[in-house]
Amino acid sequence: MRRANIISGIVLACFGLVMIFAIIPWQIEAGPKGMMSPSLVPTMMMVLITGLSVLLTVINWRARTKESIEDTPNPVSRAELAALVKVGALFALALGLYLWISPLFAGIALVAGALLILGERRPLVLVLMPAGFMLAIWFLFYKVLGTAIL
Amino acid sequence: MDYLIIGFQDVLNPVTLFWVASGVTLGYILGALPGLGKATGVAVAIPLTFYLTPVAALGMLIGIAKGSAAGSAVSAILLNTPGEPSSAPTALDGYPLARQGKAQKALKMGLYASVIGDFLSTIVLIGLAAPLANYALLIGPVELCAILLFSLTFIGGLSGKSMIKGLIAGAFGVFFATIGLETETFVPRMTFGMLELDDGLKLVPLAIGMLAVAEMIIQAGNLKALDAETANIADGSSKDDREISHSEWRRCIPVILRGTVIGSLIGILPGLGASVGSFLSYGATKRASKTPEKFGTGMIEGVAAAESADNAVVPSSLIPLFALGIPGSVIAALLIAAFILHGLTPGPLMFKQQPRLVADVYAAMICASFIMLFIGYSGQRIFAMIIKVPLRLIIPGVLLLCTIGAYMETGSVFSIYVMLGFTLIGFFAKKLDFSFVTFLIGFVIGPNIELTFRQSLQLLDHRFSNLLHHPIALVFIILTVLTIWWLGWSSSVANSTPKSVEPVAQPSAANQDIHKKREE
Repeated sequence: MRRANIISGIVLACFGLVMIFAIIPWQIEAGPKGMMSPSLVPTMMMVLITGLSVLLTVINWRARTKESIEDTPNPVSRAELAALVKVGALFALALGLYLWISPLFAGIALVAGALLILGERRPLVLVLMPAGFMLAIWFLFYKVLGTAIL
Repeated sequence: MDYLIIGFQDVLNPVTLFWVASGVTLGYILGALPGLGKATGVAVAIPLTFYLTPVAALGMLIGIAKGSAAGSAVSAILLNTPGEPSSAPTALDGYPLARQGKAQKALKMGLYASVIGDFLSTIVLIGLAAPLANYALLIGPVELCAILLFSLTFIGGLSGKSMIKGLIAGAFGVFFATIGLETETFVPRMTFGMLELDDGLKLVPLAIGMLAVAEMIIQAGNLKALDAETANIADGSSKDDREISHSEWRRCIPVILRGTVIGSLIGILPGLGASVGSFLSYGATKRASKTPEKFGTGMIEGVAAAESADNAVVPSSLIPLFALGIPGSVIAALLIAAFILHGLTPGPLMFKQQPRLVADVYAAMICASFIMLFIGYSGQRIFAMIIKVPLRLIIPGVLLLCTIGAYMETGSVFSIYVMLGFTLIGFFAKKLDFSFVTFLIGFVIGPNIELTFRQSLQLLDHRFSNLLHHPIALVFIILTVLTIWWLGWSSSVANSTPKSVEPVAQPSAANQDIHKKREE
């Protein structure tokens, strides 16, 4: 975790500096005279984040040993990263279908795609589960709760 | 008291009871399934309550929170895989009992301890919240700002392994809360010209992304280990071992009462969470026992101690929310959004402005305790079967519900983008141990912190020395500094001390990795 802490500390410190010197002045105008600046609290938070991130980096850098850097496993496993990428791609596909075809196809794609990503290969399950979920949601919102969600 | 009677009249009708029971059942199932928990359940269910009456909606959400706290014992006992981290001590003795063929007995004790702990803690909430709120009304902006600052520091320091990371997460939460039009000057902040951001980021899509979707992705990455655990469920229990004997009841009653007291106290303190409560209660019971060496081998007192404290935390964690408007846990932070949505603004004024709705909530909480007993008892075998369903069949449905939930908040696809953005943040926050609890609480109390900070600057005339006229605020500022010093000192001592490994039974190794970074 020490290496991850050092890297995340550096990344967050850089992020904080960019926010303080570039994004916040660009995105938040000065308020009327006599009133507290609208950028005061966001800037204070970013200063705090930057300071703490530097502290996090320094503490972990000073406490590091060769073993702690080399032996500790990566906090994010390959399988988890792969799942993140796959689920991200699935949401991109579902959003595309939502925007260009219809929400129904997006919902079916989301459920069926997730089943495929997670290793489900039984055709019956791949057909029945998306259909069942769509039906259940239609029943819940349109019949039980009596409201349209789209 | 009169209002409480009216509250029961409002709740005791078939429609409201149906939604409370639905919430408890849903919560029980979510709690029983490893990887899903009360925070996920409440976050996903908030949009579903948009179209319910306030009483039914709040009753359902409270039912989910209560039900999942009790349901997490099922997987802890049968799978050695706590449904939530707070049930980890339940697994220490519950799983050995299940392996001895006493799963039914352990499940029953878990249920009874949960219901008793939950019910008594609800009574504590009803008894304490209103009197505390009367004192809270005497607090001005300067004092409130100091209290909020102290709470966030305390939560940031305790809810993760690193105080620095907790404070960073809390500061990020406050920062994200400032996005949108500034309330006094109406100057847009960090909106990048997007009209959707003028009202700021919405809590529901943000919380769904951070809590539910991020968790589902982590579960998807650990699917093989979880499915292997599911396949190894201990299945046998002889008839003789199904019932709890009188002598076991005699041994467990004091344990349950102690667990309830510990859980209620831990719940009142912001940021400690149910895990601390259940582990403290388990430890206290082990120390008080004449045979502490038998703990971890199947002592029914272990199950009673952990579950009573775990469930007592949920109602009592609402005390700071109701009395001061400060969420002490992630559930309380999420419930703020639901309460406001249904016309009840948590804080000291709600007892004066909405006494009937408060009484309705109390009545719904008490009813939820009894419904939990009924559903837990009658559905024990069904819940035990549900947890055998592989996660690969559950995750797709949860992802779909998350997407619909986020979409419903604004009726715009922009909410789904927000959800996905915060999924990414939540994923790395969980893996790198940045407390998302502190983040969410920072996000919820952020607007209040900014408002009271502005008012304080004006009241103090921009002079620090004027704080001397506000002794309560001064006390909380000193407490904040002391908290930072104490937590920093204790963590440096912990880092410099060689770690020892306690040879006790642990929840399954595969799930240790998944659960060790998950927080309340």
